[in-house]
Amino acid sequence: MTTDYKEKIGELVGIEVIVKNGIDVEKLRKLLLAGVGAEFFTYYYYTILRMHCTGRDGEGIKEIVEDARIEDRNHFEAMVPRLYEIGGALPRDVRQFADLAGCPDAFLPNDWENVEEILKVLLEAERCAIRSWGEVCDYTATKDHRTYGIAQAIMQEEIEHEAWFVELLSKRPSGHFRRSYVGQSPHTKGHGGLQHLS
Amino acid sequence: MFRVCNVSDIKENSLNKFTIEKKDILVGNRDGKLFACDNSCPHRGASLHKGIYKGNNVVCYMHGYEFDVLTGKLTNMKSWKKSDTWIEQNPAWRESGNLIMYEIEIKQNEVYVKIPPNQ
Repeated sequence: MTTDYKEKIGELVGIEVIVKNGIDVEKLRKLLLAGVGAEFFTYYYYTILRMHCTGRDGEGIKEIVEDARIEDRNHFEAMVPRLYEIGGALPRDVRQFADLAGCPDAFLPNDWENVEEILKVLLEAERCAIRSWGEVCDYTATKDHRTYGIAQAIMQEEIEHEAWFVELLSKRPSGHFRRSYVGQSPHTKGHGGLQHLS
Repeated sequence: MFRVCNVSDIKENSLNKFTIEKKDILVGNRDGKLFACDNSCPHRGASLHKGIYKGNNVVCYMHGYEFDVLTGKLTNMKSWKKSDTWIEQNPAWRESGNLIMYEIEIKQNEVYVKIPPNQ
């Protein structure tokens, strides 16, 4: 049945055009899987990190961590449909997904009562995400406009997140003010499964 | 064998990306020794030409893993830990292969690389 259908309609032009532009689709699938894995597990670990933003110091950063947490989840939602469009898929076993994630697990440090240590973990996670989406942007620029559009929107928010945590750790101004609401994702909201934010 | 560039295009201690048959390859010169390998880090696919040298190793800019550019061997899996209070990553996440090395040849001041058809 599936084969008959394929014979009737041929290959997806949406894939054909990026292949003609020089994209190795298998490589792109791996990059996207690593990227969405990093976002998914960052969302998970940020939940734990945010829960441990306690005391007077923790209270001051809790909402910023929450903004980054929900926006990272949004990044997962924004890019996963694209992964499937190009013939990729999420692993059926979440353990395998964790092992393929593009960034380290943002584990709660043992001295979590020191909020600065939590901020350092958050900063490392954002920096890895910037590098990870930077790879996708570099690889797809001028060759795969659709993936590039989503990846560069995600990257804009990751760069803002990094600046927030740098400001909190070092007092270097981030240049940003608060989001209008939690999980606003000002750059990513028009993509993938995020229509509810548009 | 695919022609990549002129020998003079590969400066000493440089890391250079070329695209051959839709494949990104890294051609470098470490202290006068030319080498070629796949440009994707075997750990998570980052572009190795964005890395730096440390001895004979290329240090991947993504997670700091180090690979000997002359043998292709993984020589250092950098820990993500910034302090002793951080918990190390799962061994399965840390796991990485070695570089995919390509045969390199110089003919009449031009660099040629052999890329097996299935890679």
